[in-house]
Amino acid sequence: MNRAETLKNASPPSTFVSDRLLTGIAMGFLLAVLIFFLLYPVYDICKLSFYQKGVLTLKNYASYFSNPRMFRSLTNSIYVSVVTMIITTVLAFFFAYGLTRTTIPGKGLFYTISTFPLIAPSIIQGLALILLFGRNGLVTRYVLHTDWNIYGATGIIAAECLYCFPNALFILYTTLSAVDTRLDEAAQSLGASALKTFYKVTLPSAKYGIASAAALSFNLTITDFGVPVVIGGNYSVLATEIYQQVIGMQRFDLGATISVILLIPSVAAFLLNYYLTKKSYALISGQARPFLQPSRPLKKWAFSIYCWIPCIFILIVFITVFLGSFVKTWPYDFSLTLRHFNFPSLGGHAPFWTQFWTSILKGEWQAIIAYKYAPIWNSLWISILVAIGGASLTLLAGYIIEKKRPKGDQVLYTLSVLPAAIPGTVMGLGYILAFNKPYFFIYGTFWIIIINIIICNFTLGVLSSIANLKQIDKSIEEAAVSLGANPITTFTRVVFPLTRTAFFSNMAFFFMRAMTTISAVIFLISAKVKLAAIEIIFLDIDGRTASANAMCTIIILLVVGMLVAMRLITGRGGLKGMSASS
Amino acid sequence: MGRNLRLENLTKRFGNLVAVDQVNLEIEEGEFICFLGPSGCGKTTVLRMITGFETVTEGNVIFDGKVINDLIPQKREFGIVFQSYALFPNMTVEDNIAFGLRVRKMPKKAIADRVDQMLHLIGLRDWRHLYPAQLSGGQQQRVALVRALAPNPQVLLLDEPLSALDAKIRVRLRAEIKRLQQELKKTMIYVTHDQEEALSIADKVVVMETGQFRQVGRPIDIYKYPASSFVADFVGTSNFFKGLRTHDRVQTEKREFKISQRGSSSKEEVYLAIRPEKIEVFKYGEPPGDLESSNLIPGRIDVVTFLGAAVRLVVNVDGEEVISDVIEKEFEQRQLKQGEEVVLYFPPEAFIVYPAKENA
Repeated sequence: MNRAETLKNASPPSTFVSDRLLTGIAMGFLLAVLIFFLLYPVYDICKLSFYQKGVLTLKNYASYFSNPRMFRSLTNSIYVSVVTMIITTVLAFFFAYGLTRTTIPGKGLFYTISTFPLIAPSIIQGLALILLFGRNGLVTRYVLHTDWNIYGATGIIAAECLYCFPNALFILYTTLSAVDTRLDEAAQSLGASALKTFYKVTLPSAKYGIASAAALSFNLTITDFGVPVVIGGNYSVLATEIYQQVIGMQRFDLGATISVILLIPSVAAFLLNYYLTKKSYALISGQARPFLQPSRPLKKWAFSIYCWIPCIFILIVFITVFLGSFVKTWPYDFSLTLRHFNFPSLGGHAPFWTQFWTSILKGEWQAIIAYKYAPIWNSLWISILVAIGGASLTLLAGYIIEKKRPKGDQVLYTLSVLPAAIPGTVMGLGYILAFNKPYFFIYGTFWIIIINIIICNFTLGVLSSIANLKQIDKSIEEAAVSLGANPITTFTRVVFPLTRTAFFSNMAFFFMRAMTTISAVIFLISAKVKLAAIEIIFLDIDGRTASANAMCTIIILLVVGMLVAMRLITGRGGLKGMSASS
Repeated sequence: MGRNLRLENLTKRFGNLVAVDQVNLEIEEGEFICFLGPSGCGKTTVLRMITGFETVTEGNVIFDGKVINDLIPQKREFGIVFQSYALFPNMTVEDNIAFGLRVRKMPKKAIADRVDQMLHLIGLRDWRHLYPAQLSGGQQQRVALVRALAPNPQVLLLDEPLSALDAKIRVRLRAEIKRLQQELKKTMIYVTHDQEEALSIADKVVVMETGQFRQVGRPIDIYKYPASSFVADFVGTSNFFKGLRTHDRVQTEKREFKISQRGSSSKEEVYLAIRPEKIEVFKYGEPPGDLESSNLIPGRIDVVTFLGAAVRLVVNVDGEEVISDVIEKEFEQRQLKQGEEVVLYFPPEAFIVYPAKENA
């Protein structure tokens, strides 16, 4: 029978690429990228901080610690970070408790609102607080008629608390929803009072999560640049001090020194967080979530009201900035206008987009869309490329680390999670030091910005890729291989389709970060390449607050638009039958 | 000579741990062979070295006269069926089966024919457009089976394929695999820790323990003549007694048995093994008189477990537990019940004797 003949002749294709060779090439490529674009800049900063005129010395550190103004930036940084850490962790803990351990209505709504700060640059909190409590603040000037304003430490702390809230909440929510509530029930059935149960059972079982959320809040605050730069006033913190020294005074050596000083607490907080997260996951039981008893009315009311408080603050922030971009003169003239969206000529030029818009628009519209909006097109373009590049690279790295496990995979893993430990401003300065040389042709172009954003956000992308790939049974890949598929077919036909949803959500994450990030890229923009998020700062510094709000609004709308588009893409088509598989 | 698979001093070490220790085996074309052993005995590692997913530390895997140690898995053309089914969740039943044919770039028509043939083989024609998640475990494993068979592999390897299934489906699918094997005359290597499965399905069983092959043989030989006390214990159930043998007598702590496997005149430490169904159970005072009197031992029935065709009794003999299986009919006739005083008879020829040293 000729069927049997056909089968006999149909052997696997003979032009075979060795799996090991491919893994080796990919691994080598990733290591090269991470070493060159992550370690090398950090190394350059460290080197510069310890050298003066080519001599190894501690003079830079001596001058830092002997200058009271500069030294204050360290104590200031630690002060605002610790206070923010405490407030955020406590607020987020009870919020997460309300969402996971009570039967209050509207949990989905609370959760959604609490994630809003992630879709905007951190600066939005600062802008809103200024509109409300600044020198011309709606509340301070109009309602209270006071001269007090929020600039300085108070403003930074208030803004950072709002910014850190969703990040801390994620951790605590995961912790509290994973810890078995039957422990609580067991304690109560043994006669423990509700309060005692909380202290003796709930709190200890969530301790690692709490500490991890605290460490993360500390890290986010101490490394943030956007908030202190708009609302800090004369209150200097490490992240802004670096920028001051480098861009304001051209003191690269001092900038590098402060960077190293900033690296210490931020790396420490990162390591602590990393260690605690591992511990915390060890406590998570795989048990199904048991039924939640209905909460007593008093508890329900108390938590409902409590949960509304942060949500209302977050909503006020967004509404304020949104309104602020549409009213004529905040807070005096609330008639609506679109004129703040006609930005002052920012200069700059977006490759491809400027030509595109010039060719189809004329007159004033051409000036606005093609030139004044160039930073926005740049941001959008960069974000799309970052989304594609970041999601692909992190998937590849995650795949190699989790599935291929070649020799040295631990090195790749360490380098992959390291970026989260390094503050954006430090990375930005490192990039200037390392790559501002004539032979690095990418410097000053938007490619360096793309690379920088991908590297700075590598950690989360890799971790989520790994978490996702872990769910794919090893034998699925082996099945493909045993059926004769080569490594590339195996990846494209089997592995990738199974991680597609995670890939898209990674894309969304990278897009969001690229649209909203400030701290690193502020060092990398040039007269030609400008970014929307950075323009918020410059508009604000120029006193064009309303336009800063308008720019912020545009960014938020773009991010929301992208999230909706992602939802539509991943929610539909091609996924049927997969959702049911576990 | 057919295309035989030979393992030659095959060894696998993970660091200091010896997972597979110099095993040798010849598997003939068309043979159905089963690796049986407790978890961690190295049976899956042997299988993975044959598939190429695990590297060989020492020794050789030889197929059709050629050493294939370094051949990548894709090139070996061995089909594999996994415990977790490992169906591609993003593809339909049909696409799953066609996968191996498509990567071989077979003509469309030939693929369609082959997929049809395969679906027919497992009677799942109407399910071709469903996704794995929409099938039951048994159906998924059937699909996985024909997916592996579709490219017409030289050898089919099955790694505990039924362990994740319910008892009933397991037995049914077991019969189906056996039928397929006989129909297709394909060499199959089957790994399991379930002795009943191994004995019922294979032409030849390899009993493994701590990385070594303890016994290789036909199922019936393995059961009737276990080569070591480990095999006697692992395959089926055995009662063990430790004692000293001189001639045809074995002196245990509490009594003396007569056995038919004679030893020398010098004392030798041995284990006696006896299968539960070989022990006869009589009501106290009722044993026929012509039996070897030293092998008649009184006891009391502690536990009665109904197994279907047989009844398993746990008999307390001077504080020791002896397991005995009697067929249901005898159980009724002799009016045995829990708490009953009985006499057990251990036929001398039913004892298998192992030197005690082998377990040291």
